[in-house]
This record gives sequence, C-alpha cells and structure tokens, in this order.
Amino acid sequence: MSNTPAVEVKGLVKNYGKVEALRGVDLSIGAGEMFALLGPNGAGKTTLFSILSTLRTPTAGSARVLGRDVVTERDATRREIGIVFQEPAIERTLTVRDNLKLMGRLYGLDGAGVNKRTDELLNELNLAEAADRKAERLSGGQRRRVELARALVTNPRVLFLDEATLGLDVEARRGFWKQVRGLTSSGRSIVFATHYMEEAEVADRIAMISEGRIVALDTPQNLKSRMGGGVIRLHTADDAKAREWLVARGYQPAAQVQPIMLEQKDPAAVVPVLLRDLPVAVVRVEVHAPSLEDVFVKITGRGLADETAKNGATRAPWGGRP
Amino acid sequence: MKGVWAIVALDMKRYLQEPMRLFPGLVQPLLYLFVLGTGLGASMGRMPAAGDYRGFIFPGVIALSLLFTATFAGISIVFDRQIGFFKAVLVAPVARESIAAGKIIGGAVQALIQGGLLLLVVPFMHLNTDFLGILLLIPAMVLASLTFSAMGVALAARFTSATVFPVVINTVILPMYFMSGAMYPLQPAPGWMQKLAHLDPVAYGVDLLRGALLGREHMFFNPWLSVSVLTVLLVLLAWVSVGIFKRGEESELTGPSKFPWRR
Repeated sequence: MSNTPAVEVKGLVKNYGKVEALRGVDLSIGAGEMFALLGPNGAGKTTLFSILSTLRTPTAGSARVLGRDVVTERDATRREIGIVFQEPAIERTLTVRDNLKLMGRLYGLDGAGVNKRTDELLNELNLAEAADRKAERLSGGQRRRVELARALVTNPRVLFLDEATLGLDVEARRGFWKQVRGLTSSGRSIVFATHYMEEAEVADRIAMISEGRIVALDTPQNLKSRMGGGVIRLHTADDAKAREWLVARGYQPAAQVQPIMLEQKDPAAVVPVLLRDLPVAVVRVEVHAPSLEDVFVKITGRGLADETAKNGATRAPWGGRP
Repeated sequence: MKGVWAIVALDMKRYLQEPMRLFPGLVQPLLYLFVLGTGLGASMGRMPAAGDYRGFIFPGVIALSLLFTATFAGISIVFDRQIGFFKAVLVAPVARESIAAGKIIGGAVQALIQGGLLLLVVPFMHLNTDFLGILLLIPAMVLASLTFSAMGVALAARFTSATVFPVVINTVILPMYFMSGAMYPLQPAPGWMQKLAHLDPVAYGVDLLRGALLGREHMFFNPWLSVSVLTVLLVLLAWVSVGIFKRGEESELTGPSKFPWRR
C-alpha cells in the first residue's frame, strides 16, 4: 500500500459546456509529498480539486486518491481526504468548538471521539484560546486555521488546500504555511493550489498549470534553474521599438511579455550595454534572480496575476449571507 | 443513520442559535387567526357545526406555519451553497440519502417547533375538540411537516441564488396554500376549485389537520387518501433530492466556484 500514489490522475478532461477547464491532465503525487499547483485564477486548479474531492465528475480520464477511483469509489475516497475550500465552510454563528464537533459527527466520529479530536486540533492549530468564540468574531488567519482544523477532523492521509490563504495578509499567510508544513509528518500528502509564487516555494514539487494543462512539473530548484543566471525587466518609452532592436542584436526577449523580459547569464554586465546602446529611452530597469513567476512567464507568456487580482479583489468571508 | 442525526444536529444547533426568530414567525399566523378570522367570522356568522370561523381556520393557520417554516428551512441549503459549507457536507463520507433525510427532518423539526407554538392558543379557541383530537393532530402535523420540508429541500437543492429562492417559494407555495382550503371549506366551493385542490399536496395536509382537530365530518378527502398522497410525495421528493445531491457541484449552474469574491 505504501507505494500507492496519494493522487494519480490520467488524461483528465473537464468541460463546462463549451468551456474546457481541464484539457488532459496527468499527475502522480507520492505519499508524504507536499505538492503545489501554481497557476493564475481560471487555470483549472479548483476544477481539479472538485473532481479529486468527488464533487464533480470528469468528462474524460481518470483520477485516483490512494488507489480509490474518485468516480466509482466515492465514499472510500471521501474517507481518505480532507479539503479546505477557497470559500469559508464553517458556520459563522457557531463557536469554533461547535463547528469542529458538528463536522466531526458528520465525518463519522462518535461522541467521545469527537471531543478528543476537537481538543487535539484546537491545541495543534493554536486555536485553544479562541475555542469558545463564534467564528464570525475571529481574525482572517484564525478562521482559515479553523477551516484547516475542519479538514483535519478525520485525520485524513491526503489533504487538499484550494487557495487556502486567499485574502490573508502576508503575516497570516506565513503563519498558516508554518502550520501546514508540520502536517506532512506521519506520511500525510498535501496538495495545494495557489497563485502566489512564494507559497509554492515550500512545496517538494510544483506543477505549473495554465489553461487547463500542466505546463511544467519539477522541484522549485529545478524549475528556477531553467532560467539561466538572472532576469532583466526593461520598461522603456517605446517597447515595440526596443524589442525590435533587441531581437536584431541577437537578444531573446520573452515573446509578448510586458514589460520586456530578458534571461541573461550575467545580467549585471548586460545592463550597462543596454542602457548605452538602446535607441529608446529606458524608464526603469529591474534585475533579479529568477523567480517561479519568471519561469511561469517564460513558459506561458503570461503572469500569475489575473484580472481579478489586478482589480484588488478581496475575500468576502461570509459573502451573500444576510 | 448516524449521518442523518449529524445533519439534523447541525441544522438544529444553527436554528437554535437564533431563538428570537420564533417570534416573527408567529405574527403572520396570529394575524390570520385573530384579525382575519375574527373580522371575516363576524360578517359570515356562525359556521354550522364547526363552532365559528376562527375555529374552522385554526388548523389551516397551523398548516400555514408548518408550510412556510418547512419550505423556508430549505433555504439554508441555498445559503450553504453560496459559501463552501454545503461542499464540506458533500465531501463528508455520508450517504447522500442521509443528507437528504437529515435536511428534510431538520426542516420538519423547525416547522413543528414553530407550528407547535400555535397550540398554546388552543385554550382560547373554544374548539369543539377533545384529547383524542390533539393526539391525532400530532402525527398529522409530523407527516405534513415532513412533506412540506421535502418540498423546500427539493426546490432549494438546485438553487445557488438566495434572492431567487424566496421568489420561487412565493410563486409556488403561496398559490398552493390559497388553493388548499385552509381559509375556506372546499365542500361548497365550485367544481374547478375542488379539482385543483385534488392536485394540491397542501390541501391534503390541511384536511388531515382539520379532521384531527374538528372531526371527520369537516374533512374533504378520505383521511387514508391524504396520508397516502403525502407519504408518496414525501418519498418522491426525497428521492429527487438524493439524485440532486449525488451530482455534487454538477447540480449547480455550469462552471467552477461561483463565490462572489468582489463585494
């Protein structure tokens, strides 16, 4: 059993009418692995989780969680997984403790088991002092930890986190991931989706996902080493002209990426040359070590932030409830 | 079976979190009973054998309370679908049959609490009833509540918009209530109304309550017919709900998460 992959996905396709959310995804995630799905909103991450957590049926292909087919063995799959959704899934009018106890009951624990597990989780996730507060009175970070506790009620061997830190500030996000990292001990696999590249760095392996396809899959180190040396980003008065000039001189700016992106072995030596010779005014220059976002941009020609993120969408924790 | 009670416990815990909501729920039935009932009753004189008009509509007003509390309890599914709460229920290793049963029973219990409160006015109603009548009323209320709740659950299971659901309830449930004979006797009503009443599940519920409280001679249907219709409908709607829950998120409109982040 120990060799059974935590998640095994083959040729997974999911269409919503004419929209192709997943266009053939193959994945194998090992036991005890911390695995990231990195991609912008709309890339298909949530759809993949919906299928793995038995909430949706694939159009084609297959998916197994710990060897259980997520379509034909739904109950068995449900017993193995815990999932934190993007949306809040705790009842705001109930206390943290009641939320966990009621969910524990629903997930099949008996009375004594529920109390024991609830106390364990409250301690493990630093929620003990908030235990008897109503969920609506908690901070954003605490609420997300309650979500995590809910997903862990049955001590699942596979944990899915779908953009679990969306809307949290940097500090709360850091705290959340510190907590999560501790959960892989005991061989638990964690699969998480994010569009924050710094979050994906904590993973053992990262699958970059764009428009329903996995476009790269490797360790964070190997992914970053795909970019040689460093990255130069140029903001100029006339990007089209600058690009033309660069190509003519044998540089290889990434296609269609704004601002202009150049991968260079020794960027510090190239910048003075560019500043001296470029026929257009340079407004701003950035030089940095390659990040996961650069890799993503190089592969897909677009960034991780999507329209929603640019408009400053924030999490509405209890959206729509009167 | 454990799953059923977990769902009921979940809904009851949430329901009892706001006990004040019991009181607004009493306003409408009491208005019908004491304002409409007294006003109309005075103008139409004494109803033969039923005591007065107020006494005649009392079972109908209990049915009103059961019907609206039970169907609106279904709305909790719509709210739960708007956030991720219902997804958390759907990914639990619980049979979809248990989820449907739990939701239906949860709504029925809320309706019975709300409708049961109305029984407190029985001493002031000068009803021509006895202990047996009250005893018969309870199973009638339970069956009606379960069926009404199943109507709410089956309707709510498909909706993701909390603004659409009350509109649907009012265009489907309110006409059913008006056609049911809750506020008037069906026997002297014109033929078309009697025919429509035969198609109206609420009419069978009202008739059972009335029969229990006021006696067999006030019933429009055969009580066994009423029990059968309500039971068959209950089973049918529960089956429909199970089918919807089995489809998980697929039963919602197409596309992934509909959660309105931008607010």
